[in-house]
Amino acid sequence: MNRGLWDRETVAALLLIAALPLALTWLVLDGPFGLLRLAVFLVTAGVWHLVWMLARAQPPSLAGALTALALAVLAPGELGPVALLLSTSFGVIVAELAFGGWGRNVLNPATVTLAFMGFGFPAAPWPDLAVQLGWASWAMLAIGLAFGVLPGPVVLGALGTLGLAALAGLPFGGAMPALCVGLALLVADPVASATTPLGRWLNGALYGGLCVLFLAFWQDAAPVQIAVSAALLASLAAPLFDEISIALWLRRRNRRHG
Amino acid sequence: MSRIWRKGLSISVPGPQPGGTIDRQITEEASLVIPATGDLRVEALALEGETVAQGQPLFRDLRHDGLITCAPMAGRVARLDIDSARRLRQVTLFHEPGAGRYERSPLPLDQRDLQTLTEHLRAAGLWQLLRARPFGGLADPARPPAAIFVMALDTRPGAPDPRRALDGQEAHFASGLAALAALTAQTEGPIFLCHREGAAPVQGPGPRIRLLPAAPLHPWGLAGLHIHAQRPATPDRPVWDIAAEDVAAIGALLDTGLLPETRLVSLTGTGLRETRLVRCQPWADLRGLCQGHVRPGQNTILSGSLLEGRPARWLLGTDRQATITAYHPSHGRGHWFLSALSHAARPLPLIPTAALEQSMGGALPAVALLRAIASGDAETAQTLGVLSLLPEDLALADYVTGAEPRLSALLAALLARMAEEEAA
Repeated sequence: MNRGLWDRETVAALLLIAALPLALTWLVLDGPFGLLRLAVFLVTAGVWHLVWMLARAQPPSLAGALTALALAVLAPGELGPVALLLSTSFGVIVAELAFGGWGRNVLNPATVTLAFMGFGFPAAPWPDLAVQLGWASWAMLAIGLAFGVLPGPVVLGALGTLGLAALAGLPFGGAMPALCVGLALLVADPVASATTPLGRWLNGALYGGLCVLFLAFWQDAAPVQIAVSAALLASLAAPLFDEISIALWLRRRNRRHG
Repeated sequence: MSRIWRKGLSISVPGPQPGGTIDRQITEEASLVIPATGDLRVEALALEGETVAQGQPLFRDLRHDGLITCAPMAGRVARLDIDSARRLRQVTLFHEPGAGRYERSPLPLDQRDLQTLTEHLRAAGLWQLLRARPFGGLADPARPPAAIFVMALDTRPGAPDPRRALDGQEAHFASGLAALAALTAQTEGPIFLCHREGAAPVQGPGPRIRLLPAAPLHPWGLAGLHIHAQRPATPDRPVWDIAAEDVAAIGALLDTGLLPETRLVSLTGTGLRETRLVRCQPWADLRGLCQGHVRPGQNTILSGSLLEGRPARWLLGTDRQATITAYHPSHGRGHWFLSALSHAARPLPLIPTAALEQSMGGALPAVALLRAIASGDAETAQTLGVLSLLPEDLALADYVTGAEPRLSALLAALLARMAEEEAA
């Protein structure tokens, strides 16, 4: 009767809207082959959502489309159909559906899938992202922040760390689009990132810091590989940052109120 | 400093905003209906058919010594429904202006000590206006409060401005505040007076009275977040809260010996042709107040605001507003498969968005707390400060996120469980 807008599917729809500039830029650049690739991921994720709906009465979510988009943009090329289906199914099921669907998951399913592809099929080449995609990801971040569906401190923390590194003279050498797309599609996920203000700053800063570290010391890594690895580690650490933030808050509070 | 970072939302109800003239209207009927789950054991002090003056004792609470409820208006007791177990079901009064007002003797200033005040307020039926935390409910005189919060700010959508309710009652308000200070004499606890920024209702506050300015953003006009921030409630150190107009009522009782006849109530919502501000009696007949002012068609009347209001015919408890919305019939049962889907995964997951953060006022780890409440984790919720909150404090989060089941209902269940464990 009397209710506001911000339920799960509204947030998922707003995230999709925010991702539209990125998706369109990528489709224009990649053409029909990109469309086919997106369709494959959409169908794979969609089928698993349907299976879990029928078997476990778990309502499917629009967030599955966001996962598919992230995979289509960031997944390594030249993966065989078996490898592609296997890793997508692993990510979608283990990271999202097994936890009870989007909103209850601990890690971003796209991050898990990409990490699985990276570890399982190291020979597959990571894609090179065009510089336009980097700018399109800024548009996604801006729209998401304006709607309040992306966690602001995560985005600012990551961009701040990367900006500081750039000022300090670290050679990015064309890695910027991959790092920004990784931030937009993988790290700044409202569900899988930290939820407390301090935790979010740390979460974003860790992603930025890891990217800088990998760029400096991981010689033969592709930019997307760096972004995916940093995103995985940053989101694994998110609950820890929340714990730290809440512990500090409680300490301050106990000191004040006895 | 911390006030700069305060967050909240201002929700406007559709339709005109309350303001303008205040009409005085005593409805023909007034009634108190106890829901089927309620368990109020009473002894009647007035009989059915008897005429009572406004403020005359109606019944005595058998579980709480000396706690009396008085007639909200002069009238005839039309119905007094007490079952064989002495459980009160319903009291209904018909208005009879000739019955006058019940006069008590004013309490002299030098007799306003803790003991006398407590007994006096309990005998006059004003003690019920104090609400205790943790767990809500009646204030327990055996457990003196660590602080009392007086709310001269109400940010619920469509709520009347408490400052207008205090117009012309400044003297009563001041002596009410002094009486509250006497109630906390034992613990030396402060009286926090929460008001809109730049509009303090008293000029020179007394020694233990502290002003607490707040921006008019919901939920900062509710006592919950202020208690959480200033003086967290615990079972050993309860905190009481009371509305500013009720403090003036206490002052009026002590100074004049008369109970105030009316309280300021706003009527808002899409079902009304124009918003009304009325002075009416407690337990007023909401249909009577709306008559001639509603739009044609079916409407639902809620006692309380759009956020936490309950469908009611009579003005409930300490509510100061009623919301009249167009009646939306439920859309039938739908397909069995969709209904199975929508009932399987409860409670719905919470997505941490800026809207959710704002709806909890940004004063506490909102997502962690709401997740603890949704999963029934009493220990974590208590660590994060749930004991200072009541279901009304989560009404905004419910509204914003469309949570199902309502987080406020989950909190009520959690608090009931914690109260039971505490009592055991």
